[in-house]
Amino acid sequence: MSNPKVELHIADYGVITVELDQENAPLSTANFLQYVSDGHYDNTIFHRVIPGFMVQGGGMEPGMGQKKTAKPIENEATNGLKNAPYTLAMARTSDPHSATAQFFINVADNAFLNHTATSSQGWGYAVFGKVIGGEDLVDKIKIVETGRKGFHDDVPKVDIVISKAVAI
Amino acid sequence: MELIAPPHWRCVDFISDLHLDAQTPLTLTALRRYLQSTPAQAVCVLGDLFEVWIGDDALGGDGCFEAKVTDQFYQASKRLDVFIMCGNRDFLMGQGLMAACGAQRLEDPSVLAAGTQRWLLTHGDTLCLADTDYLAFRQQVRGEPWQTEFLAQTLVQRQVAARALRAQSEAKKQQHAQSHMQWIDLDSPACLAALAHAEANHMVHGHTHQPAQHDLGGGHTRWVLSDWDLHATPPRAQVLRLLIDTGTIERVDLVTTAPGP
Repeated sequence: MSNPKVELHIADYGVITVELDQENAPLSTANFLQYVSDGHYDNTIFHRVIPGFMVQGGGMEPGMGQKKTAKPIENEATNGLKNAPYTLAMARTSDPHSATAQFFINVADNAFLNHTATSSQGWGYAVFGKVIGGEDLVDKIKIVETGRKGFHDDVPKVDIVISKAVAI
Repeated sequence: MELIAPPHWRCVDFISDLHLDAQTPLTLTALRRYLQSTPAQAVCVLGDLFEVWIGDDALGGDGCFEAKVTDQFYQASKRLDVFIMCGNRDFLMGQGLMAACGAQRLEDPSVLAAGTQRWLLTHGDTLCLADTDYLAFRQQVRGEPWQTEFLAQTLVQRQVAARALRAQSEAKKQQHAQSHMQWIDLDSPACLAALAHAEANHMVHGHTHQPAQHDLGGGHTRWVLSDWDLHATPPRAQVLRLLIDTGTIERVDLVTTAPGP
């Protein structure tokens, strides 16, 4: 069975296609697909962009309003997948098992985000997919000009909007 | 060294132990965010801003890690006063770095006279009297002969030496963690003596990474700063903020609960 794929249509940029690793990250994959089919990601932005690190989105609308999410999921960082460039991983708070809708795309080898221990210190961030199309768009997004907006830092000055997310 | 708070200072921030290096981009981002938004009129860095400092000629060109740090302080120095004290890792910070940061060097120890109170400010390492190996090492590396010889080496040679020192220190930390040895804290009688000498009732320090407020008796208190590590889980970054009008200190947690890596 082939892995599920999702197209992220980015306004004024194009399409980033991600492949989800259903076998190694079944919970994160199902969670992401549910948000996709609910239309949650439509009209959300990449609200946190740090070159040399990652681009994060999936939780904020243009204007930085936070969208409602479903319940947090279990952290699957124990699956051995690494936070390598162009991999897709779940964002979370300091609680390892707190990921909901927000995700990020690594734009560097962020080995320090990998799982090292089943402690709150070492849980790491669960990788559950990778970019298989539109890497050049990720490269364009990661270098946009950013600034501070309210309590948030590294917010792109010009909104980068996911107009729709489509499972293919 | 005595620092007298000018009348326009309403609050003074203390931070320490950021241990910045090229591998800590998140901590650097937190510092930028903090420096851009703090309401304080003065920021005092009480040691170990950098993981290691091998001499002011390490200040590279635009865009390098060191330049990012100095630029953040320089921008901040346009609207507030910046004071930087050396710690046990970045003790080779010199006037070149201070100038690049728009900062004034803060000697260790120093006294801040603010309102009706006097505050003893120190990194804290010299008061860890039980850490005899370190104190012997400190005496050597803080001496003129060692520093002259070290700084005479090429930048590359010093980078190699710094890496070796860091590896040693990491190994020691690991060993420490495995053996469940008690970490070494500041010696209370030595703190009281230092306070008496400074004619201060309260002290603020870093170094131990054990944020707390200790009552030393007789109206004396010892405030301990947290280290900053935005790459840790959970991430850490705190500020001790002195409100001069009331003479009180509040601990400000800079880590938000917004999701992210």
